[in-house]
Amino acid sequence: MNLRFQRYAGMKRFLLLFLISAFIPGAGGAADIDLSKAPGYKATKEDASEGGRYIPDLLTDDPFISDPVQLSGDPVFEDDFTFKKPPLRVSDPLEPLNRVFFTFNDKLYFWVLKPASNAYSAVLPADFRLIIGNFFNNLAAPIRFINNILQGEIEEAGVVLGRFLINSTMGVFGLGDVAYREFGLEPRDADFGQTLGRWGIGGGIYLCAPFLGPLNVRDSLGFIGDVYMHPVPYITDDATQDVIYLAEGRLNALSLSPPVYEELKRISLDPYVAARQAYYEYRNSIIESR
Amino acid sequence: MKLVTQAFCLAIFSLLFSPPVYTAEPGPTEQLQPIINGVIAILTDDALKGEANKIERRKKIMDVVSSGFDFREMSRRVLGSTWNTISAEDKDAFTVQMTKLLENVYIGKLETYSGEKVDFVAERVKGKRAQVTTIVDHEGAKLPIHYIMQQERETWMVYDINIEGVSLIKNYMEQFSSILRTEQYEGLVKVIEEKNKTFAEGK
Repeated sequence: MNLRFQRYAGMKRFLLLFLISAFIPGAGGAADIDLSKAPGYKATKEDASEGGRYIPDLLTDDPFISDPVQLSGDPVFEDDFTFKKPPLRVSDPLEPLNRVFFTFNDKLYFWVLKPASNAYSAVLPADFRLIIGNFFNNLAAPIRFINNILQGEIEEAGVVLGRFLINSTMGVFGLGDVAYREFGLEPRDADFGQTLGRWGIGGGIYLCAPFLGPLNVRDSLGFIGDVYMHPVPYITDDATQDVIYLAEGRLNALSLSPPVYEELKRISLDPYVAARQAYYEYRNSIIESR
Repeated sequence: MKLVTQAFCLAIFSLLFSPPVYTAEPGPTEQLQPIINGVIAILTDDALKGEANKIERRKKIMDVVSSGFDFREMSRRVLGSTWNTISAEDKDAFTVQMTKLLENVYIGKLETYSGEKVDFVAERVKGKRAQVTTIVDHEGAKLPIHYIMQQERETWMVYDINIEGVSLIKNYMEQFSSILRTEQYEGLVKVIEEKNKTFAEGK
């Protein structure tokens, strides 16, 4: 009984610290960083082809602007030149509060996370960080496995399981990605937010959470679900170890990911709206593609 | 009678051997591909590399890009219904500023090009609109970039770029409508001009 309670308390601490250490800026979603996007990740030639690749239909919105002069050089129907806003809009009733947290995250990024990431990158070469990333990514496999099952993607779940088994053994505890290099098994991502979306649950209102960045109600729930699918807190009962593990994992991921947030800020007139819209469309396109 | 048969045969033959009408005009992919390749040729030209050649390089890229990218259409779309309420001169001025912004954003991004392979993988045509999908291979990370085009007279012109599901034009449209709500059209123009100034100064 006592032991169970301890574990429960450990989980709660873990959850809290996971939330704190999990800040990923920009539109990348909250749960996982795709290491195949990290520099130095080599791919074979044949998977550059589109074979079976999902191509979204981006022409489903009405041509909400149609200007006959532009299209046919004929000004006769100038009156028909109408604007109809596409229905794709983010619900954001908490905007004033969200903007406060957005500014907070911005400061957090430039004052804390970026210097930490730079110092970390200066100490460890990229190849080494990639290996560490592989290790963290491999241990998070249960999240992807369970969610693929929940989404009915049995084949994808099989790939996740296969990758986990190969990389844990031949890849020496997941340090190398043998499954990809030797067996051509590409990483398959899945998180609980996607699963909920796939089950037809809408995003709900937009949230910009401190430390976490862009979220919505569905993906916040999904995020909490993912924490409970992560194996590490079940292995250790020591919250300090969980913290070190997670902080290191996040720092490592940040040091490998391209500076999405800085780029977004550079090109935007209103970075808050830009991040909100990008997050909304990015998550929707992922859920639609599954 | 013989004449009629001959005429009939001739008609059949001309129908059989005349090329179908739609192949006369190049499709969206055929029109986009040379533009992308042209831009890559400029970006990989050693004589145009470096900060010193930035102005000349950008001018050359813009010359190529303008033949297939409709910046006026993009300007109209990002502005939404406000476009109808402004004067013709304002439309021109706005298009100039918007073109400059997109040049800074899109070409600024292109300038980080380092030999990635661009594959044209799919094309979807619906009436006068089309979507051309390319995959940019950056060291194994495959980034899907979709070009949304419309047929203007005979030419297919790009009016939106969609990267991993995120539309460039829709993103700016949302930002602009947020600024328009609080600062009106004049305020928006000022914000865009200031943004372009920061691009010119720094990055």
